[in-house]
Amino acid sequence: MAKTILVVDDEPDIRQSVKTILELNGYKVFTAIDGDDCLKKVYNVHPDLILLDIMMPGTPVDEVVKQIKDIKIAFMSVVRISDARKRGLCTQDNIVDFFQKPFNVSDLIDRVELILNE
Amino acid sequence: MDGKNYSIKNFLLTRINRKLTFLFIIVAIVAPMVGIYYFYIISVHAIPDYLSDVQAPMLKTVAVMIIILIAVDAGIIGFFVSRSISKPIRELYNATRKVEMGNYDVRLNIKTQDEIEELAEAFNRTTASLGKLEAERKEIDNAKTEFLSITSHELRSPMTPMKAQLQMLEEEYFGKLQKKQKESVKIIIRNADRLDNIIVDFLEISRIEAARLKFNFEKTDLTQTIMDIVKFMEGFAKEKNIQLIVNISKLPIIEVDPDRVSQVLRNIINNAIKFSEENSKIEIAAELKKDYILCSVKDYGCGLASENQIRIFEPFYQVESTSRRRHGGTGLGLAICRGIVESQNGKIWVESKPGQGCIFYFTVPLIPVRNIKPIKMLFSPKDVIEKKIIEEFKTILGPLGVVEFDELKSKNALGKDDIYGYIDSLTEQYILTPESGVDFKCRIGEIFGDEKDVINTKEDTLHDNVGDEGLK
Repeated sequence: MAKTILVVDDEPDIRQSVKTILELNGYKVFTAIDGDDCLKKVYNVHPDLILLDIMMPGTPVDEVVKQIKDIKIAFMSVVRISDARKRGLCTQDNIVDFFQKPFNVSDLIDRVELILNE
Repeated sequence: MDGKNYSIKNFLLTRINRKLTFLFIIVAIVAPMVGIYYFYIISVHAIPDYLSDVQAPMLKTVAVMIIILIAVDAGIIGFFVSRSISKPIRELYNATRKVEMGNYDVRLNIKTQDEIEELAEAFNRTTASLGKLEAERKEIDNAKTEFLSITSHELRSPMTPMKAQLQMLEEEYFGKLQKKQKESVKIIIRNADRLDNIIVDFLEISRIEAARLKFNFEKTDLTQTIMDIVKFMEGFAKEKNIQLIVNISKLPIIEVDPDRVSQVLRNIINNAIKFSEENSKIEIAAELKKDYILCSVKDYGCGLASENQIRIFEPFYQVESTSRRRHGGTGLGLAICRGIVESQNGKIWVESKPGQGCIFYFTVPLIPVRNIKPIKMLFSPKDVIEKKIIEEFKTILGPLGVVEFDELKSKNALGKDDIYGYIDSLTEQYILTPESGVDFKCRIGEIFGDEKDVINTKEDTLHDNVGDEGLK
């Protein structure tokens, strides 16, 4: 069965792009427009992985991740991983990766595959 | 009535008062002289016969007493008058010094009711307007940094979907591409990457300017850091068959951000590779000095003329206008290096002679600086240097110096060698003595080798800086 991924980003073009890339590589993709939308959808779609932007309007991301403990999360952000670590965002066990934007398409595919095959 | 009284009182007590005091002093000086004159006449010639032998000395004593009293009186009045003038002037002087140091909150409260009070009020008004200007300047400066930071972020966010879509096109997610289409996509991707690099560098510059540069200090063996980066750069060096030679003396484990050191070193080595001929070599060295580690990268490329040696650390400065196209890069690499090194109170400089390659040096302090200060990136060091040069011109040549400086500037002849030549011509025309010519050259040499001096002084190797050239 195809693995499910929830893409959370406030920018429609990024949602669209990531969705296309993942779908063409055989994943089932749902999207959410911000942290609140993500929390609303997450237990309906039960994704195997959440790709989560760090800077979004609405509920801060650190609040969002605190409420999701049993699903793998990978951040996608323009800020650097060192900055994200400083904000204490990478402490939870279910946070598995960090994609630096702008990301490389084949790198994204490789790493997502790796995460979901573990 | 009150007002009138007040003004009359003022009139009596102040303006006229001081002038009257001067009158008193003059009288007090003239009177004893007249007294001495009469005393002289009396004592020598004209003691009338009817005065007894007792009365005559008494008369002399009284005259002497009067003279002494008047002299003392004049002294006391003189002291108070001069103090009443010198005290507010000293206050003014101290206040001016404070303004010079950048304290624009200084206000004077001098109530002498005369010209000095007017001067103090003018000083207060000037300082207030200077303070306002300074506040405005700071605001504009902050706005500039903020603007740079926001625009860079805003410019960066469209890059993500753009690059993603381009890569999908290139990887033929949406069907096979013809040869021409593929070429076109490649060009777009290459330029998108270049644009992204510029934006990233801009962000870095805005962070340096706003003192928001992040340093993650950890105990590091710099030897390992340097070896890693050299290994990484070897891939690029191989393309031009350039040999990377490493020479590191034993370094202590220090607390430093290894990523930042790598960033600086990567930039410098990258530059060295760009400007080296094929089949040459680059030497990378690091050694422990008193309270810092000195890293150097030596290449055998085309070298740099002296006027370019400082300017290459300016943003977007390229030695030749064509070299950017030839060598690529954003033109911000060395400026960012300078920002990173100076944020840690280090120094970065280059020593070079045209045609003989360059040696880039930078220092890493043994103790990390946690309190990062903002570094001006977009104000070029060139301006600072020109200011220093013009000061020297003024000191040595007087007001004429400014005119001479402007003339040299208009000829774009403000490099070290240009100025040395100019000083030589002055000594040849006997406008300067040979000694002051040498002195002048030393000072100019210090300006150009400023950073080098500071470090070399620590090592007691004074003899080989300030330019042997300057002393010849």
